[in-house]
Order: sequence, then structure tokens, then C-alpha cells
Amino acid sequence: MSVYKHEYRAYTGRLTPLWARLAVVARYAVAEAWSSRITVGLFTLSMLPVVVYLVGIYLANNPLARMLIMRRDSVFEIDASYFLRVLETQNWFALVMAAWIAPRLVCPDLANNALPILLSHPISRLGYVLGKLTALLVCLSPVTWMPCLLLFAYQGYSSAGPWFAGNLRIAAGLMAGSLLWIALLSILGLALSSWVKWKVAATGAIFAVVFVPAGIGGIITGVLRTKWGFLLNVPVMMTQLWQRLLGGPEVMRADLQLSSTAILIVLSLASGICLMMLNARIRGREVVRG
Amino acid sequence: MTSMNDRILFEDVSKFYGEVLGVNRITLNIPPGVTTLVGPNGSGKTTLMNLMTGLVQPSSGHVSVLGLTPGDADRFFRQVGYCTQFDSFPRRLTGAEFLFDSLLLHGMSEGDAFRLAAEAIDRVRLGDAGLRRIESYSKGMRQKIRLAQAIAHHPRVLVLDEPLNGLDPMARAESLALFQELSRQGVHLVISSHILDEVDRISDRVVLITGGYIVAEGDIHEVRREVRDKPMQVLIRCDQPELLASRMFTANHCVEARLHADGKGVFLRTADIDEFYRLLNKIAVEGLVTIEAVAPADDDTLAIYQYLIGGDGSPS
Repeated sequence: MSVYKHEYRAYTGRLTPLWARLAVVARYAVAEAWSSRITVGLFTLSMLPVVVYLVGIYLANNPLARMLIMRRDSVFEIDASYFLRVLETQNWFALVMAAWIAPRLVCPDLANNALPILLSHPISRLGYVLGKLTALLVCLSPVTWMPCLLLFAYQGYSSAGPWFAGNLRIAAGLMAGSLLWIALLSILGLALSSWVKWKVAATGAIFAVVFVPAGIGGIITGVLRTKWGFLLNVPVMMTQLWQRLLGGPEVMRADLQLSSTAILIVLSLASGICLMMLNARIRGREVVRG
Repeated sequence: MTSMNDRILFEDVSKFYGEVLGVNRITLNIPPGVTTLVGPNGSGKTTLMNLMTGLVQPSSGHVSVLGLTPGDADRFFRQVGYCTQFDSFPRRLTGAEFLFDSLLLHGMSEGDAFRLAAEAIDRVRLGDAGLRRIESYSKGMRQKIRLAQAIAHHPRVLVLDEPLNGLDPMARAESLALFQELSRQGVHLVISSHILDEVDRISDRVVLITGGYIVAEGDIHEVRREVRDKPMQVLIRCDQPELLASRMFTANHCVEARLHADGKGVFLRTADIDEFYRLLNKIAVEGLVTIEAVAPADDDTLAIYQYLIGGDGSPS
């Protein structure tokens, strides 16, 4: 043993728990996402419908406003259908934001071979993905369930009767529908971004994966006269799922309704494929062969 | 701690990427000190480094570093520091912030991370540049901040992939001095580099790899002696080099002689180094020539690379 060895002191302090290390990855990613003016612009844009819906709730609950502005026959109800429209609007804004943000979190790491550096820390590949996923969920939450629940709370505050207690299912549906959607978008966004190194192309691929199969599903439905083509149509599936979660009236004809089980199986399969894609691409090495 | 817990061990390790061979049936036992990985591009050096840093798992065989495996991530990565050849940094971060976040990822508290980041910047002599954004760094400074990232958490095993690339001569000398200092302190340093003549000065061992196979490994001089089919070259400084050359040529093993440019020495190539030194001793005792210095002229890493692998060791 070298006599000098005694001079060297390896770090012997306590280590922070794993979640604290994942938070570092998430913090990097959130900062990266919000460093873009386009992200800020999209977020601002996504708040405009919230303001419109907020005004709608105010008008619907304010007797003076109802008397002055609205004719009696045009007064609208604040119910599950109203909040379904809120949820749909906000969740499609979430798709736009996810398509913009997700590639910015993953593509540069893969294009620049940053993974060997990151993964030579005590965080696993799973930890890396969870960190990025957390960042996306954090970025998409202020666009989806947060404003939805704020509008719900405002309606509860503004309504005269015991509206709040009687409509808790809407709140639960808003929360569950939003979380399901942004989790799916986040996994899909990360998976596609890990395979397409060019950020703009990854953004396009995310839109394509949502809307191209929807078109194919529409053709299948039209030609074969079967509702099962809708299983390729994410917008239709999600609208049906959100409607059931909120307990609103059916939005499609009964013969075109998909069962919730079938929808959840398709969404689970899609998520499984995305996880396999991430598993194949998120690796701590780049093979260099001369 | 047992001796095996002080080693980097590869036991019959193979790694395939699908059908592509990474490394095949590697058995290595790397003690503390500086070990240089030498091989052409695509020979499997980076795969070997990725295996010892836990970034890839072997297809077969077993790798352990100081008795630890990557499965025990907290303890494993506390002991291992990796300076990759790739250069990617989060945008808008200063060098100090990058190190701070890297240390947080290692599981340090904020206080320790702050202290260790400052210490690492000091060690790689980055100075005030540590407070500047990494985007503004020169290639050499980026290399330094990567090195700082690898050593900041005080690892006992330091794996450095091309750590001298992009450094100016002064920075290279500083880095080599740092490697030597760490080596003296009992740290394992595993270095891959194409700058063989400089790394050679501080290396205790060399591992030559090509096509995924280990060609030779061990002390550089021992490896050179093992390469028996290539005659060894020795430089002898003396007052009468021509006379010495003619005397040496009486022995069958002496196959080539070349006068030094200054006329005060001769390069002799011999197929039997033991017999060569015996004869040289005899000549010295006879007093036929006055010998000032004897030094091997081709038992460095570059020569071994040329003999065993071919080329000049520079990136292709």
C-alpha cells in the first residue's frame, strides 16, 4: 500500500435519498422547458380559454349579469357538459405543449451523447425517465387539471345552492381525466423524442402519431361500418373517456360508443410500446465502431 | 479490505451489441495506479470503460470494481468517476453550477456539493472561469470541467476517456501531473488516449486491445520483453559508437545498428536482450569503449502499439 494513500479521503458523508436525485433531473428539465419563449407563449395562449370559461361561470352565477346581458332563454348551465368542454380545450392545449416541450428534454441528451455522463451517477435509466416524466407532468399540470379545478372551485364558490358537494364527481373526473391524458402524452412524447434526434421532427412525429392513426381509424370505420376503427382514434377515445369520467351526457351515438375497457386496453398497449421504445433508446452508451 | 476488493476485475467478460462484438472474453485484474487503454478506433476501449463504469452490462462474465457491482448503485458510483469523451452540458449553466448539480446527482447535500465543486474547480485549475457559462468555454476548458465533474466526488476509481484531447501543452502537463498525484494517492486511473507518448510517462500498466480482444496487458517493459519476434532497440551513449557497433555485430543476435545523429551514440537492435546485455557488460569490463548511458529505445507504449497492432496510434 502506498504511503500516500492515507492522504486520499473518499467522500464519506451521508447520501440524499433517490427522490432528491431525481428532482435534480426534473429541475434541469423544467428549467430547460421554460427557458423557451415559445413555451411561455403557448402557456399564455392556453390560459385564454380559461379566462373565457371563468367569465362564463361568472355570468351564469351573477343575477345582475344574467338580467342585464343574457336573455332568459340563452342562460347556460354550469354542469358536467360545461366542464367537459373546459377539459377538452385544456387537454388539447396540453398536446401542443407536450409536442413542443418533450423533444427539448430528450433530443439534446441523445444527440450530444449526454447519457453516459448522466448515467454514471447513482440514478438509473428508470430514474432518468422518471425525472423527465416528472418535468413534463409539472409543465403540463398548470395547463390541464390545475385551471380545471380552479374553475370548479370558483363555480362552487359562486353558485348559490349546494352545488359543490353535489358535483364532486366532476372534480374527480377533471383530475383523473387530465392526469391520464398528460401521463399518456408525456410517455408518448419522451418515447418519440428518444427515437427522433431532430427536435422539430420529433414535434411533428408526436402530432402525427395522434392524428394519422385517427384518420386511418376513420377510414376503417367508414368503409367497414364498424365502431372499432375508433380504437385508432385517440381524440374520439379520450372524449368518450372524459365524458364518462365527468358523468356527462353521451357525446356520440350509442352504436359508436366504445367500451371503457377497450379504450383503457388500447391506451395501456400504447403506453407499453412507448416504454419499450424508451428502454431501447435510453442507454448509457454510444457504440462507436471504426 | 482484501486485495481483490482493491482491484477492478473482469472475469471472462464478453459484450455484444446485437450481432456486433464489443469485447470478447476479457479477463483483467487492474490494481491501483495508472492503466492506459490503447487501441485503434472501434477496438472496444469505450465498451471496456462503459463496462467498468456500469453503463453497460456484460453479455456474459462478471465485472466488479473494488468488490462492488453497479447493482449497488449508491456505493458503486460513490467510488467511480467517469470522464466521457462526449461533451454535452445543460445550457446556461456555469461550470460551478454544473459541478454542483452533478454532485447533487451523486447524492451529496447542498453544503458538501458547494464545497466539493469549488475544490474540483481549483484542482483542475479552472480558476474564475468556473463562474462563467460553459457555452463560453474553449475546448480545453470544457475538457477540464468534464475532468472536474469526474473527480469532484472523490472517487477511488477514475475512468478517463480521451482526457487529453483538446488540451494545449500546458494544460496537458497540468492534467498529467494531476493524474500522477491521484495515482500516488492510491486512486485507480484507467485512461484511454491516443497521445501515447505523454500518457506513457505516467502509466504503470498498459492494456492493448484491438477488435474486441486484449492483445497484451501488463507493465510496459514486461510487455515489450514478451514481444520476442520484434528485435528490441537500445540506445548506447559512448565515446566510440562505431567500434561498439562492430564489436556487437560479432554476436548473432545483433541485427541492426544505426549511429545517433550527434555521433555520440548508437542504436542497436537485438533479438536476444539478455545475451545483448551480457555482451555489453563484457565490453564495458574490457574497457574497449567508455559507456555513458544505456536506455531502451522502443519499449514504450507507442512502439508496442506499432508492433502489436500497427499504425502509429493516432486516431484514424
